[in-house]
Amino acid sequence: MYTYLLNAAIIAYACATGLSFAYLVQRHETTHRLASLATASGWAAHTLALVVAAVETGRPPLGTLSNAVSVAVWVVVLVAMIVERRSGLKLLGAFVMPVVLVLGLKSTVGPSPMLAPALGNAWIWVHIALALIGIAAFVLNFAGALMYLLQERQIRAKRPGRFYYRLPALETLDHLTYRTLALGFPFLTTGLILGALWARTSWGSLFAPDPVAFFSVVAWVIYAGTLAGRAAGGWRGRRAAYYAIVGFAALVLTLGAGFFLPGMHGA
Amino acid sequence: MALFAAGLSHKNAPVELREQLAADGDKLRELLRDALATGVVREAVMLSTCNRVEVYGVADAPAAARAAVFGALCQQRGVPSAVVDSLLYTHEEADAIRHAFRVAASLDSMMIGEPQILGQVKEAFALAQSSETVGPALHTLFTQAFAVAKRVRTETEIARHAVSVSFAAVELAKKIFAGLGGRAVLLLGAGKMSELAARHLVEHGAFPIYVVNRTWSRAQEMARALSGTAVPFDELAAALTAVDIVVTSTGATTPVVTREMVARVIHGRGARPLFFIDIAVPRDVEPGVDTLEDVYCYDIDDLKQVVDANIRERLREAQRAEALVEREVTKFKARLGDVEVIPTIVSLRERLEEIRTGEVRKTLARLPDATPETRAAIEALSAAIVNKVLHAPITKLRESSRAGSHRSWLEVVHELFALGRRA
Repeated sequence: MYTYLLNAAIIAYACATGLSFAYLVQRHETTHRLASLATASGWAAHTLALVVAAVETGRPPLGTLSNAVSVAVWVVVLVAMIVERRSGLKLLGAFVMPVVLVLGLKSTVGPSPMLAPALGNAWIWVHIALALIGIAAFVLNFAGALMYLLQERQIRAKRPGRFYYRLPALETLDHLTYRTLALGFPFLTTGLILGALWARTSWGSLFAPDPVAFFSVVAWVIYAGTLAGRAAGGWRGRRAAYYAIVGFAALVLTLGAGFFLPGMHGA
Repeated sequence: MALFAAGLSHKNAPVELREQLAADGDKLRELLRDALATGVVREAVMLSTCNRVEVYGVADAPAAARAAVFGALCQQRGVPSAVVDSLLYTHEEADAIRHAFRVAASLDSMMIGEPQILGQVKEAFALAQSSETVGPALHTLFTQAFAVAKRVRTETEIARHAVSVSFAAVELAKKIFAGLGGRAVLLLGAGKMSELAARHLVEHGAFPIYVVNRTWSRAQEMARALSGTAVPFDELAAALTAVDIVVTSTGATTPVVTREMVARVIHGRGARPLFFIDIAVPRDVEPGVDTLEDVYCYDIDDLKQVVDANIRERLREAQRAEALVEREVTKFKARLGDVEVIPTIVSLRERLEEIRTGEVRKTLARLPDATPETRAAIEALSAAIVNKVLHAPITKLRESSRAGSHRSWLEVVHELFALGRRA
């Protein structure tokens, strides 16, 4: 049941991705409406899938890394829908849905390492949930940065192309990346601290030799630097966007490490 | 009986001729009334702008109607009608509907998407209404044309992107800044075009405005005109630190704003974007200024390039608009049939109801002893007969309107039931 629902959600997300790209190219309002509909129905199926998983196993659907990524995707889609509704940024889907689709596919196929077996402690769920919400915010942060760089290039090139007409003002996009950074960072930080504390109690060391922990700390350092730069040094625009992309790359490595490298988080 | 649109426009007639034919208010009213008085035109609306002179109408023979209207117009304006006749185009039925929709939606305009034409069409329609030359067919046609124009405007972007340099500059500013409200503008030099650009910025909420000019009195004058503040020329660098948008248009032969000057002020700006709109020729802003972080600069050629791209974007959008119009034309053809048939059906019913009530009254007057039951029976009987008689012709009319062949049937029904001349 869980698998069926999840597959339905993935298929809907795939449709939404295709429709979002189509909207980017030809801009029919109907296409956008269909894309929103596909996203919303995918999300509904996804919600059901997670509820079913929780009921079947009797605990939060975070037992395996795949489950956890699936929850992250669920949060991303929810936040993206809210941001799109509130900001009228109709192109967001074209930048977020591909990431959603890739992560979503990853959560259904391939190996699915069990997250650390000794998950008796409730704190570990909080650790996972907070880290995932952080990741969800950073997916949007990445999308905003990508849009910023595209729009900036168009304006600097002085040759308005498709994106120039479709994308909003540079400042708007910069605000989006700033706000998603400011939103995601506390979650990521708390998630990491809880993880470190838990690591000390269960493995006896704050810094266990674990690739997931390593890459997430790298990502955290990048995001912390960007946030500090923005808050104090007036970093913004292109520089902030580049760091958003580098930070997201580190997060992708974190998840990749979870799936493919041996360590305390599984595999 | 056919719907038609005939006339000439910027596409086929020289501007001198269009100017000669252009007529306004009272002249048009006179023309419209005369046209209907001849009997060859049943309904008419005349559209007269500097880009087109057209008549939209309903007539048995559109060619004759066109000849009557334009003959009178040529006579009135003193233009040889042979010249005009050779240029006139005529669209009938679906083509006329399409033409009306395209004109109102600004798809047939010289600059696609220009906003004036819809207002002009509305005025032309109102004028014809006040001259009582609008009947049900044109009323439906124009009401729908306004709706289609609105749809085209909101659902496509044919009117969205600026086609003038100064508006293109404002749009660019809106792609850099999230809204122009409260953005400080510096006006450097005092060209007409830069003043226009500044006014557009102010209309979008930009504030405050600073004016710098080598001639102090000129700076003050311009500042007064724009409700801004004049700033001495040697405080230019300080002004650059404070503002968000700079519009330059001095007559200087060497750049007034150098890269080095901007590089110095950029540190004091806290990484806020700085946008130069350089309308001067030769340029006032040194090339390479916009290689600095957060500095953007568009000169007049860049802006023209943007305008060209905007026009191409409008043309792309126009294709979508054409498809939308095509769908509306198809829908409208069916509706127009109903609209033309309904008044006849109504008057047919009224005619027979009138006969029925008259006859019932006469009959009842001769039967003073009739019980209420008898009276009711007589009423019911007569009503039933009328309904039975009407059933076949009404069905036929409705069917024919769907098939598009209703006009000849309307004539027949009017003749047979003596309904009088149709409105």
